[in-house]
Amino acid sequence: MRLVRYVYPDNRSFAPVSGGLNRSPWSGLETEIDRLFESALGSLDTTRGSRFPVDLYEDKDHTYVRAELPGVNRNDINVEVVDGFLTITATRKQKEGDQEQSFSFRRSINVPDQVQSDKVGAAYENGVLTVTLPKREEAKPKKITVAVK
Amino acid sequence: MSLFNTLIPSLNRAEARPSADAGPTVKPAYEIKETGEAFALTVYLPGVAKDGLELTAEGNELRINGRRAWRQPSDWTAVYRESDDVPYALVLTHDNTVDADKIAAELTDGVLRATLPKAEALKPRKIAVS
Repeated sequence: MRLVRYVYPDNRSFAPVSGGLNRSPWSGLETEIDRLFESALGSLDTTRGSRFPVDLYEDKDHTYVRAELPGVNRNDINVEVVDGFLTITATRKQKEGDQEQSFSFRRSINVPDQVQSDKVGAAYENGVLTVTLPKREEAKPKKITVAVK
Repeated sequence: MSLFNTLIPSLNRAEARPSADAGPTVKPAYEIKETGEAFALTVYLPGVAKDGLELTAEGNELRINGRRAWRQPSDWTAVYRESDDVPYALVLTHDNTVDADKIAAELTDGVLRATLPKAEALKPRKIAVS
């Protein structure tokens, strides 16, 4: 959380600075403990790595999959449905001076069987990919009115 | 008690977390790269549009707050969730080494890229030897 490069603590950073009354004798230790906590808690961040967060929604006629894929070009996103599995592959390309870095994401989600896999649509907005999977006619809830005599 | 407080400075310190009235927030993933001229900051804010993003530089703090532009339509039911709906918040502290007037930032596809130029006084200077 700091823009300052980490400096290995030495005797000076722990020892009180003579003359500086505002500086507490513990300030070196205090920043050290802060740093340890930040680095330990930072590793809990699960959003990194090739597994991106995915949400699954449903309404009457569709199943929706929303995937957080920030900073990916639309052309580098690939969505396919094979045998009831929706696979999202994306490559993030970053230009760094004259070098280009790329990072690939891939995730498969088991989608319900009642999906019409030939009518799948996808939209990408603000770094979130929304895949719309229409349900099959027979899977939609049907309303049957029975006339009572 | 006052002696006790002076011994343990964290008791005197201002609350590090943003105040509770702001509600829960999540810390976005971010990267900082340093060059001789500037710090390059990349923050991943999926779901944030330009009008939902706030970038504040104050004193030695840089605050980034992002609201998600998308709201779940009322007829959608969540079957399985991995992401949060809460806004993003990130506070970065620096040692006044950043020239706040010259910060440039752009948001594309949920990624905020900001250039934080170093203050003139801190840039490395070549001294010609005569």
